[in-house]
Amino acid sequence: MTCRELTELLLDYVAGELSDEQRFRFDEHLRHCSTCLVYLETYQLTIQISRRLPSCEPLPEEVIRRLRSALEA
Amino acid sequence: MDPTTSEFAPPSVEEVFRDYAPRIYMLARRLLGNDADAEDVTQEVLLQLVRKLDTFRGESAFPTWLHRVTVNAALAHRRKRASRSEQQTLEPLDSFAEDGYPGVPVNRWSVQPDQALLDRETRDLIEKAIARLPDLYRDVYVLADVEGLPNAEIAEILNLSVPAVKSRLHRARLLMRNALAPHFEESSRP
Repeated sequence: MTCRELTELLLDYVAGELSDEQRFRFDEHLRHCSTCLVYLETYQLTIQISRRLPSCEPLPEEVIRRLRSALEA
Repeated sequence: MDPTTSEFAPPSVEEVFRDYAPRIYMLARRLLGNDADAEDVTQEVLLQLVRKLDTFRGESAFPTWLHRVTVNAALAHRRKRASRSEQQTLEPLDSFAEDGYPGVPVNRWSVQPDQALLDRETRDLIEKAIARLPDLYRDVYVLADVEGLPNAEIAEILNLSVPAVKSRLHRARLLMRNALAPHFEESSRP
């Protein structure tokens, strides 16, 4: 397995959806490739920090004002 | 919801404004990548919402309906605007060499995934990276990795197959990872 082939499998790996054989080859590659190990870590970090974004923030005052007048029109 | 009954009490217009408008705006802004379009979509969704408030009979149906309406309104708004980023076809795996080795340095990140709240700077970096994704990747990324929707539901919303959702999500994650790396890599920090 090359680094690129491993990268193509990252989504299924993170979702726990690799076949046994794919998982074995994936883990084998990781044992010998520190670059892919870090790439995997940072791929997972990207997902983790995105999920920590807030679902909302207070609206700016001027936006509230415009939306209110549109609703009341 | 009225605590004295088991029936769903539709929110008042004021409650809609207070409790739902910020959520609608944030989702629309993430999908569309800018404030002006997000405001247009928020206004459209709020108007729909106020018109239909009396028709809701189930509490669980309401947030689902609101989410779906916001996504659909944002996608329709973009189609009207004929977004320019749709033509971009970034391929995050292009940087990999013939032998499969990544063509860029790969270093550990200093960001901590377990901190309860992201600091403002980190949040802005992530939001900007999301805004720069091509539309077809951004939609899937926001719905999957920010909103936390399952792939099957995203496929239904975007009228795609599940394999297509997974393919786009994977590309989006690679683009996001590569966009954030220069900011978070330990070696790039003073």
